[in-house]
Amino acid sequence: MRDFLIFIPVTVLYLVLKSTIFISIPIPDLPLIIVLFIAYNRASVEGVVLGFIMGYLEDAFTGGIFGSTSFALMVVFITVYFLSKRVTFSTPFIRAVAAGLLTLLKGLLIYIVLRLTNFDAPFLGSILIAAVVTGAFAPAIILLLGRVSGTADPHTLER
Amino acid sequence: MLNNNLIDKNRTRTYLRRHKIVIASALLLLFSLHLALTDNRGAERGIVVKEVISIAISPIQNAILGTYGAITDVLGNYILLVNLKSNNDSLNETVTQLKAENNTLKEEIGLNSRLKEVLEYKESVPFETIAATILGFNMDRWTRTVTIDKGKSDGIVKDMAVITPLGVIGRVIEAGPHSSMVLLNTDLRSNIEAIVQRTRVKGVIEGNGKDRLRLKYVLQLDDVLLGDHIVTSGFSGLFPKGLVLGEVVKVEKGKDNFFKEIEVLPKVDYSRLEEVLLVKGTGIKAAADETATPASAPTPASVPAQASVPALSPTPTPIID
Repeated sequence: MRDFLIFIPVTVLYLVLKSTIFISIPIPDLPLIIVLFIAYNRASVEGVVLGFIMGYLEDAFTGGIFGSTSFALMVVFITVYFLSKRVTFSTPFIRAVAAGLLTLLKGLLIYIVLRLTNFDAPFLGSILIAAVVTGAFAPAIILLLGRVSGTADPHTLER
Repeated sequence: MLNNNLIDKNRTRTYLRRHKIVIASALLLLFSLHLALTDNRGAERGIVVKEVISIAISPIQNAILGTYGAITDVLGNYILLVNLKSNNDSLNETVTQLKAENNTLKEEIGLNSRLKEVLEYKESVPFETIAATILGFNMDRWTRTVTIDKGKSDGIVKDMAVITPLGVIGRVIEAGPHSSMVLLNTDLRSNIEAIVQRTRVKGVIEGNGKDRLRLKYVLQLDDVLLGDHIVTSGFSGLFPKGLVLGEVVKVEKGKDNFFKEIEVLPKVDYSRLEEVLLVKGTGIKAAADETATPASAPTPASVPAQASVPALSPTPTPIID
């Protein structure tokens, strides 16, 4: 419940800022980084639902195809959940690479959904930029998320 | 037998408990995919979420835009002050004040100029319009939408045409109580029936998901040249006839050897949009009203606008104009 109270308002604020101030400036994909953080640090059914809600919110806010972002974030969640059993995202470099690759995966999945819904979408170069930006900022944001959620829940420890 | 059943039940419970995360993820994943694949079938999605966004988030967007403008003004003046301080402190202060006033006046003049332009256009067009201000832009990957500060309470309905003096912007896809979401022409989901102004060749204008448009279904034999203007055909009724969509910037032979590949540059610079007009008498509700009660439809005399707005389709689709 605490995760909902922290991460949903943060996601809403992120979407508001993205639609008003950072319209043409590439900014890190915060919902994706939050999903990466939750799926790795404390995967739970609550975390799954939170990931779905964040995707749903993003679709509602941007006027995109409903379900496309939540679908992509669910795949990202499962991917990170299984990867976390084999890989340790302990260093900033690994976190950056993981966030970058997952941004590409998210973009690819939304692209596939668009193609499945008969929209003739070009695969955009902007996804690469988004991946680089998200990767660059992910280590710092994950550290911040660890501190914020750690403050809210003293039993949670960052791995 | 009973023991075996109990063991089976326990095994199932243990299995479900052990894999609850994967099961929950898979279920929500499939549900999301179902939502996405059936999104364009006209069913309303996320009504509650959209209502909340319309009521709670739009004022925040408005406040942030106002605060952002104020901060950039102050920062601009501060930088100016630092540069001039090296010359003369007192003069610096005066200049800063004058610059600040000048900046404010420029903003006012700019706003007046834009509003005057919009007002003149509003008065010149033969249909009734509602003016609205843009609150937010959503230019995320393939999505191209804007949020405006008018909603159902101002008479906005789904599929209303949105225009500016330079041409068509898009159409309303969600009308909330106090704000609405507009699908820009450049969004992949946008389809508008169009004609080439010079030759009257018909086609469909679609967004390319970035900042350009594509004119589709134009035959290889049809006469379309670089620089041709593309305007709305008005055939389906969601957009009044003759509104500018853009200019042809690329004509190529299509891969199928049947249709041409035509790229169109919109006349409107979407990144500079601030005020828009919504055309009354267009949209789903208007179409439904007209179909249900044709006798009560406004006459050209009572509403001159309707004279040039073609009859609305009785079964408008949410995707295609």
